[in-house]
Amino acid sequence: MTTTPATDLSTPVPSERLPPSTRRAGPRKDLSVMIGGQGGDGTLTVSDLLGRYFHEQHLYVYTARNVLSRIRGGHADASTRGSVEPVWAQKATQDVLVAFDDEAVRIGQAELDPEGFILGDQGGVSEGPERLYLLPLSLTAASKVGNGLYKNTVAYGALSHLLGFDETKARGVIEGRFGRRGGEALQKNLSAFDLGRTLAREQVGANPLFLLEPGTNTRSILTTGNQAAALGFVVGGGRFFAGYPITPATPIMDHLTRWLPTFGGVVRQAEDELSAINMTIGAAYAGARSMTATSGPGLSLMTEGMGHAGQAEVPVVIVDCQRVGPSTGEPTRHEQSDLLHVVFGSHGEFPRFVLAPGFPADAFELTVEALNLAEKWQLPVFLLLDENLSEYTQSSEPFDLSKVRIDRGKLLSQEALAALPVYKRYLFTDDGISPRSVPGQRGGMGQTTGNEHDEWGHVSVNPENRRRMMAKRLGKMERARGDLPRARIYGEARGQVGFVGYGSTYGPIREAQRLLAGRGISSRFFQARTLWPVPTAEVEEFLATVERAFVVEHNFTGQLALLLRQALPRSSFSSIVQYDGNAFRAPALVKRVTEGRP
Amino acid sequence: MTETAKPTSPIWCPGCGDFGVMAAIKRALTELKVPAEETVLVGGIGCSGAIHNFMEGYGFHSLHGRLLPTAVGVKLANPKLTVLAIGGDGDGYAIGMGHFVHALKKNAALTYVVMNNETYGLTKGQASPTAPVGFSGNVETPFDATLLAMSIPSSGFVARGFSGAPREAGQLITQAIQFNRERRGFAFVEILSPCVTYNDTYKEWREQVQNVDTVPGYDRTDRTKAIAGCLSTIAAGRIPVGLLFRPSDDRLAPSLDRTLIPTVESAPATAEISLEANRARYEKLLSGLA
Repeated sequence: MTTTPATDLSTPVPSERLPPSTRRAGPRKDLSVMIGGQGGDGTLTVSDLLGRYFHEQHLYVYTARNVLSRIRGGHADASTRGSVEPVWAQKATQDVLVAFDDEAVRIGQAELDPEGFILGDQGGVSEGPERLYLLPLSLTAASKVGNGLYKNTVAYGALSHLLGFDETKARGVIEGRFGRRGGEALQKNLSAFDLGRTLAREQVGANPLFLLEPGTNTRSILTTGNQAAALGFVVGGGRFFAGYPITPATPIMDHLTRWLPTFGGVVRQAEDELSAINMTIGAAYAGARSMTATSGPGLSLMTEGMGHAGQAEVPVVIVDCQRVGPSTGEPTRHEQSDLLHVVFGSHGEFPRFVLAPGFPADAFELTVEALNLAEKWQLPVFLLLDENLSEYTQSSEPFDLSKVRIDRGKLLSQEALAALPVYKRYLFTDDGISPRSVPGQRGGMGQTTGNEHDEWGHVSVNPENRRRMMAKRLGKMERARGDLPRARIYGEARGQVGFVGYGSTYGPIREAQRLLAGRGISSRFFQARTLWPVPTAEVEEFLATVERAFVVEHNFTGQLALLLRQALPRSSFSSIVQYDGNAFRAPALVKRVTEGRP
Repeated sequence: MTETAKPTSPIWCPGCGDFGVMAAIKRALTELKVPAEETVLVGGIGCSGAIHNFMEGYGFHSLHGRLLPTAVGVKLANPKLTVLAIGGDGDGYAIGMGHFVHALKKNAALTYVVMNNETYGLTKGQASPTAPVGFSGNVETPFDATLLAMSIPSSGFVARGFSGAPREAGQLITQAIQFNRERRGFAFVEILSPCVTYNDTYKEWREQVQNVDTVPGYDRTDRTKAIAGCLSTIAAGRIPVGLLFRPSDDRLAPSLDRTLIPTVESAPATAEISLEANRARYEKLLSGLA
C-alpha cells in the first residue's frame, strides 16, 4: 500500500489499493476510532455518534477525549472504542484515525495500529503516511450541505460505509441525536451523512475496509461518572446543590440543574467555591441532604469549609473531580493528585471520610452511600473522582435502585424531639454521634458552631471539655470502620502480581489483568473504595495474597502509596505513578509490572 | 417542654454599641411574634458575630466572612424560616465583600444586619473598610456600604440605624424582617455601633446622624434620588440614617427563594426523599439513560 495521493471528487480510489492486511482481516472484535482536528471541528460529536452506534450494536463502549481548555481552536481529539468483550479503558492503539488537519495526522499517527487506516479531510490534510484516504469532507459539507461545519457528520457517514455499519441504524443514531433540535439541523445532518457514505463508496470502494462484529451486551447503559454521581445524588435524597463552574466537575451541576427542581430540590451556581461550600453547609444544617462538586482549584478555596463542617458536625458531601494541578494546572487533563489534600487539608484536626468510585455504577452507589455516611456520622464526606471517570462516556451496568437505602442517622423527628427532656446539640454519646435537630423544630434550639463548644454548643475553652470533644469527633474515624464501603477484589485467589488502585485506574488495571492472564501470569486487583480512613486491615489481608504488589496512581509523589506505607510500615509494595496528564494504558502497565520498572 | 440551650452572657465590653443592636433585633422579633424555633441567627466572626449565642433561636456560627452564603443556604433549604445574618463591618465588607455584593444580587428573603464600628475590635483596633483616614494608621478612603447596596440593581431594602437610638433601629429591623416574611427579598440594615474600647464614636455619631425623612426632597422609592440624597447628606457632613431605599412593590426584583420555591411547603429540607415515594419518577429518570 502506498500513500494515497490527494484525490478530487472525480478520481475514485481503486479497491486493489486497500491495505492487504485489511483485506485479510475478519470482522473486528475490538475497534477504536480516533477523530482529531481543531476545537470546534465537531470531533466530540463524531465520537459520540460512534459511541451511540457501537452501543446500539450491543458492543461495550469506552470513549476518551483530549481537548484544550478553550471554546474553539487548538488541537482536539476523541477516541471511541467498541468491543465484543467488556472494556474499561482506552485501547492501546487506534484502528482508524479521522483527521481534519495535518496536526491531527501527526498526533494520531503515533497511536495508529500497523493495520489501521487514516481518513483525512482533503480541505485540511495535505500529506500523510501510508493508508491515508483523502476525501473532500469539508468541501462536500460546504458545497452540498451549505456549511463546512457539517464535515464531522460527512466524516461519520464516510466511516459508516468504511466500517460496514448498518445504514439504517447508523442513520438512526443521527435522528436520535439531532431529532430534538427539529427540522433543519436534522435534515442537514442526515444529508451530510448520506453524502459521506456516497463519497466513501465512490472514492474508496464499494466494500468496507473493516467489519465490526456485533456484540451481545444488551444490558449496559452509556454514561459518565459525573452523570452517575448526579443521579446517585438525586435518588439518595439529595435536594440541595451549590457549585461553581469548573472543569471537569461542571457536568454534575448541569445535570442537577436539569433534574433536581422536579424533585423539590434547589441548585445554585455560587459566586465562588467559598460561597458554594458555605451555602451547602447552610442547607445541610437546615436539614436538606446537600452536596457540592468541584475540582482542585475550587477544592483549595473550599478548604476552610471542610474543617468547619467537621468541627460543627454538619453533614455535607464534597465531590472532587481531580484534574492536573497544582494551581490552574491542566484543566482538561487527568491526574489523581488531590488525595492528600482531601485527607489532610484544612487547619486543625477533624474527622472525614474519603470514598472513591472506580466506574460509573460505582459512582452512583457511592454517592448514595456518601449521603448516608455524612448524615449518619455528621461530618464531611469526600467523593474523589478523576477526570477520566468524570468525563469519559462508557458502558456501564444499569444503576440499581434496589440497592438504594436512605439512612439519615440520628436526625430527630419532631415527635422524638418532643419526647426528650433535654436537647443538647453536641451531647456526648457512646458512638460520638449526637442526635440532631433542624431549624424549625420545637425544642431543638441551640448553637451549631465552628468554635470549640460544650454539649450545648456554647463556646468553651475548658481543657477537659476540649479533650472529650476531640475524642467524640475524631473517634468517629475508628468507630465508623465497619460502616465504610469495602474494596472490591478482582482476579484470582492468589496473584503473582497484585494491583492496588482507585478511581479510573480501575480500567487499565482490569485490562492489564486480562493481558497478564494471556501470558499465564496470575493477578489480583484491590480496588480501594474507602481511602480515608485507610482500610488498613483489608489492604494487609490483600497484600498477603499476592507475590509482588504495585500501588498504581496518577501523581508524582505516590500519594496513595504514602498513606499505605504510613498505615502498614512493614508491608512491601512498589509504587507505579504516571503524571503526564494521560491515563495508564494497559500494555504499558503490564510492561511495568513484568519488567520491574515501576 | 424539652430543655434547650440557654442564651449565654454577651462577651461585649460594657457600653458596646452591640447591646443596642441586640436590643433592637429582639424588639423586632418580639413585635413580629416570630417563634424562636423558626428563627435562625447566622453569625460571622468578630465581637458582633457572636450575637447568636446571646439570643433565643437556632444559632449558627459561620466562618469569617461566610455568614451570607451560609444564611442563603439555610433560607433556600427551608424558606419558612426567618433568617438573620448578623456580623460586623470587617466580616462583611472586607473578607466577606464578594458575598455581600452577591447576596444583594441573589436577593434571597433574609435580613443582613451589619454592626459597623469602623474597626476590628477583637484583634485590637485595626482599621476596617469603613475606618476614616487617619484611624489606626489608615490611609485608604473608606467606603459606604449603603451606597454600594443601593447601586446593586436587585437591591430592594437598604437601611441604616444607630445603636444609640435602639428604638428607631428596632423599627428598621422590624420592617426588614417583615419585608422578608412577605417574601419580597433581601434586606440590608447597617447599624452604626460604636466600639467603646477602640473607636468610641457615640458622641460624634449622635451629632452626625440625620434621618433621611428630614432631608428635603428625599425620595427613598427612587434609586437615583435616594443615592443623590444620601450623597448630599454626606457632603453636608452628616450620616444618613433611616430607611434609605425601598422601591414600590411593583419595582422590586423577584426574591430568589420565592422564584425557586414558590410554595414553602415543599422545599429541599422538607421534601419527601424516601425511595418509596419517589420510585416511579426515579425509574423514569434512570430509564432515560438507556
